[in-house]
Amino acid sequence: MENLGYLLAAYTVIWAVVFGYILFLQRKQRRLQRQIDALKGSIEK
Amino acid sequence: MNGKHALRNGILWGLGFALMIAALYMVFIYVPTEKHTGIIQRIFYFHVPVAWVSFLAFFITFISSILYLWKRQTKWDAIACASVEVGVIFTTLVLITGPIWAKPVWGIWWTWDARLTTSLVLWLIYIAYLLVRSLATEPAKGARYSAVIGIVGFIDVPIVFLTVNMWRTQHPTTIIFEGGLTTPMLMTLLVCIAAFTVLYVLLVIQSSGLKTMEAEIRRLRIIKAE
Amino acid sequence: MNKAFTKIFTIFWKDMLTEFRTREIIISVLVFALLVLVIFSFAFGTGADMTEMTAPGILWVALTFGGIIGLTRTFAVEKENSRLEGLMLCPVDRAVIYWGKLAGSFTFMLAVAVVVTPIFLALFNLPIFLPRLALVIVLALIGFASVGTLFSALAVNTRARDIMLPILFLPVVVPVIVSAVKATVTVLAGAPWGDMLTWLQIMIAFDIIYLVAATLVFEFVVEE
Repeated sequence: MENLGYLLAAYTVIWAVVFGYILFLQRKQRRLQRQIDALKGSIEK
Repeated sequence: MNGKHALRNGILWGLGFALMIAALYMVFIYVPTEKHTGIIQRIFYFHVPVAWVSFLAFFITFISSILYLWKRQTKWDAIACASVEVGVIFTTLVLITGPIWAKPVWGIWWTWDARLTTSLVLWLIYIAYLLVRSLATEPAKGARYSAVIGIVGFIDVPIVFLTVNMWRTQHPTTIIFEGGLTTPMLMTLLVCIAAFTVLYVLLVIQSSGLKTMEAEIRRLRIIKAE
Repeated sequence: MNKAFTKIFTIFWKDMLTEFRTREIIISVLVFALLVLVIFSFAFGTGADMTEMTAPGILWVALTFGGIIGLTRTFAVEKENSRLEGLMLCPVDRAVIYWGKLAGSFTFMLAVAVVVTPIFLALFNLPIFLPRLALVIVLALIGFASVGTLFSALAVNTRARDIMLPILFLPVVVPVIVSAVKATVTVLAGAPWGDMLTWLQIMIAFDIIYLVAATLVFEFVVEE
């Protein structure tokens, strides 16, 4: 069971980065969607 | 997003999730511990698929860059750029997990081995790609410039690999571990590769969708200004 | 074919004439490359045991960084005086412009190398006349110029253009730098031809691949 720390570190990094990226994409998507809605709204007026 | 896309994305997310769970199960429970290097060898099952995906990502960028310059359709630019983004993130993971694996096995963090060095050079090239994109004086130019870098940068991969291979003839990673790949190990690796490939496709769909939305915002702003 | 060559030469000669009058690029690059040579010699020391290992590296750092400065200038000068637009109005194929600029950049770099290399060899007490080293330098500089001309045309239209060129250029020319340093090591050690053949082959392959690729994609970089 030696080197367990290294193994955990590697998997933690991978998952942290992947989830971080997915989260980043989702937040960005929501922000852009709001902008599009706002722009469309102001154009229709 | 229309219904067909939503359905496709739903299926892909489901598939990706199932594959990832299967991959984790196989890596940590199913596959036996490798005899010589011990438990640390399990990094291999994620390190290799991540490296494979980053290479795939830059290859997809290469193809979409050519298609963009040829057809001038925004979707190819969106895919190329999204693919670089995912590729750079995955290359970063390769460059982090590589040393984490190397340290306990060889006692060193970094070796100038052909694969690691090529990954590093690739990482630098595609960081430059993203920089040019964000620093171009106008989006249309950025798209064209990055397509050129996507093509010219990818051609460099085999040359860099060959050169570094010649440069450092001592080559620790050719022996990944002594016993060779047994059937359960190969099975686990294949499932992991499948899981990460699906994850890559999902991330590119998501990220290129954002690029399309950004283009839409630019278009709406112009309409609004008029 | 012959016509294209004349056009290439015209563009090349235009750059040469400007340079003869202003001496803006050659002198500054030369001084810079010599400074790199001197500073690195101070940093690494010049003992006999160091010479063999570090000297080739120092020479190539000087030539690479000097090359970058030269490449940045060639397109920046055009851009500053809005001459780039004039050049693009020429009724010639974009590939012709690329080859004209390429020939100019290559000549500048070669001129700098012709001065820097003998000084370098003298500083490290090495034999001055080394025809094999000349071959290495020519092959490496063709590689630098092929990639560098493409990227400097690209970098000039970005914000932060002075830093953009080295960021793009350096990772792509890694194979050339590695091969040039390795080939220089074998030349300075007086090793037989066979030892440097691999490195020459890599550089020749790189040169051909990038000359072809850059000729094909250059039009997308300069189109308005």
